[in-house]
Amino acid sequence: MKRFRTISHFKKRVLIVDDEDINRQILGNMLGGTYEVDLACDGKEAWDKLNEDGSDYSLILADLLMPVMDGFELIEKVKADPVLKAVPVIVITSDKESEVKSIKLGAADFIKKPFGMPDVILARCERIIELYEDTTIIRSAEKDHVTGLYTRDLFFEYVRQIDVHQRELNMDCVVFNIDHFHLVNEMYGREAGDLILKKVADAITGAMEGHASLACRTEGDSFYLYCEHQDGYEALMDRITETVGSDQGPAKIRLRAGVYLDADRSMDPETMFDRAKLACDRIKGDYTVTVAYYNNELYQKAIYQEHLIENIDQSIEDEDFKVYFQPKYDITGDTPKLRSAEALIRWNHPELGMISPGDFIPLFESNGLIQKVDNFVWNKAAACIREWKNKYGYSVPVSVNVSRIDIFDSKLEEKLQNILKNNGITEKDLMLEITESAYSDNADSLTEVTNRLRESGFMIEMDDFGSGYSSLNMITTLPIDVLKLDMKFVRNMEKDEKSLKLVELIIGIAGFLNVPVVAEGVETESQLKKLKDMGCQVIQGYYFSRPVPASEFEEFIKKECV
Amino acid sequence: MITVDNLKKFGANTEEGIARCMGNEQFYLKLVATVPGQKAFDVLREKASAGDLDAAFEAAHALKGVLGNLSLTPLYEKVCEITELLRAKTDMDYTEILSEITALKEALQEICEQ
Repeated sequence: MKRFRTISHFKKRVLIVDDEDINRQILGNMLGGTYEVDLACDGKEAWDKLNEDGSDYSLILADLLMPVMDGFELIEKVKADPVLKAVPVIVITSDKESEVKSIKLGAADFIKKPFGMPDVILARCERIIELYEDTTIIRSAEKDHVTGLYTRDLFFEYVRQIDVHQRELNMDCVVFNIDHFHLVNEMYGREAGDLILKKVADAITGAMEGHASLACRTEGDSFYLYCEHQDGYEALMDRITETVGSDQGPAKIRLRAGVYLDADRSMDPETMFDRAKLACDRIKGDYTVTVAYYNNELYQKAIYQEHLIENIDQSIEDEDFKVYFQPKYDITGDTPKLRSAEALIRWNHPELGMISPGDFIPLFESNGLIQKVDNFVWNKAAACIREWKNKYGYSVPVSVNVSRIDIFDSKLEEKLQNILKNNGITEKDLMLEITESAYSDNADSLTEVTNRLRESGFMIEMDDFGSGYSSLNMITTLPIDVLKLDMKFVRNMEKDEKSLKLVELIIGIAGFLNVPVVAEGVETESQLKKLKDMGCQVIQGYYFSRPVPASEFEEFIKKECV
Repeated sequence: MITVDNLKKFGANTEEGIARCMGNEQFYLKLVATVPGQKAFDVLREKASAGDLDAAFEAAHALKGVLGNLSLTPLYEKVCEITELLRAKTDMDYTEILSEITALKEALQEICEQ
């Protein structure tokens, strides 16, 4: 690429300082064609010119021996000035000793007297100006203004250089992240947030003192550290946390780190740090560990998940996803009666076989892809409801899962209504299960959406009640029609008194709310009996049936029709 | 009138001097014409004769730069010589070398005034 020598319509300014008029004139004549030239006869006059308003010199050429203020003093003053120090100084000299002294003082270069040929002098001036301008641009772009650490791009550039020139070193990649940092910004303001970032950066740099290391900030609240190999990072992390914790003001933060030890330096730096990041992400929200190490298992898991993410669309299209139904029985009468069903997703992957919902549901919940799965289930369930109505003249309400992300989808109701319309079924046929943990994310939105859905006629079931951060506040503000008891209480209630008491308590709460309780995970007759005695109305679980494909589920309907 | 030929006869490396002036002969001659009037010649003579070697050195040094840039070789060489002697604070009789410099300066002055 050809570089611009000057921007055509404006010339850069150069200041020539020499007490000899003849020298000033010769130099001025040499440079005048390329630059806007100003002349000064000593250091004092030069200093005054440099400090004039709007002075924007690109270069100073200064003689050393001058009356009033000599060249050495001028260089010292220029280099001590926070703004002017960016202006390069070329020293004009005829003495060898002065050359060294002036370079030590901060001169960029020197030209000798008698002057060399104009071409040479011009080329030297141009080179120095360009070099200083580039350096200034690089300096302003390489540092993150909040923390003083490198910016991401420059960091990776330096990592690449280290990887080329210092291959013999064993290096570790560390990614630090602050949990819920956006909350700090929201609660205490951006200034306080920036202050914390600076403190973390200082603590990292401080803790690494004496070690070969390089650090940057990226993605707002992440810090990358490339450093010589260490056996472990717990001690380092403790030092950093201690430094940050001792003086972090009102906002308390939690820092976690992911480490990729002994990085394989044949990979590109971004990939090396992706591995450290993977480890760091793994302990997000886990308050028991602060440092996680990358290992191959983690890598395999990431590859596996990536595979699932890639295949989701194709699998939906090919109907590798299957909707299974698990019946729910009303046990209030003498004989259990089929009351409804829950639609559950299964994935029969063409290469990987049956994939456990535990493998893909949390993954798709974390990246929003769960909406695609939910939509698929809603449509399939609605089609089955329609088919059963046609075939058996029997209505089995089916409950489907509504994930957190669906709650925030402004088209949720429209989507559901379309499904009802397309299948000719009503709101009473398709029940909606919302997990209680959605409440803790955004109580107001959830309450608002739930209210709207109920007003349209949908029934809302609160799933997994008691499993997460149940809030008594929630049950008074969130309108629901059914409470689903988390299956782990049912499983444990015969082994553990506390679980039994909790089941009683939850059934009591449901009674207070005047809504039925569905107990999930019921496997034995004695569990069923106990639950019935406590006043539980509906049972779901292996006692009646595992989740089955639609065709098998029809058997349960047929029995009811007899 | 000052001419390139006369300066050549004086011993000046006019090609070099003019090249340093971006090939501008008139500009070069104009600058050379100001040399004999340089106060530094007087300062050098007075200070060196009076034994103030530091002040004499400053004057010699300043002259050296100018003469070198204009490639006035004979004068430049003599001034270089005295500059080094003064830099080393050589204790000597400077009369002779000062006379030589004065003679060369006057010869240049003559060319300039022709």
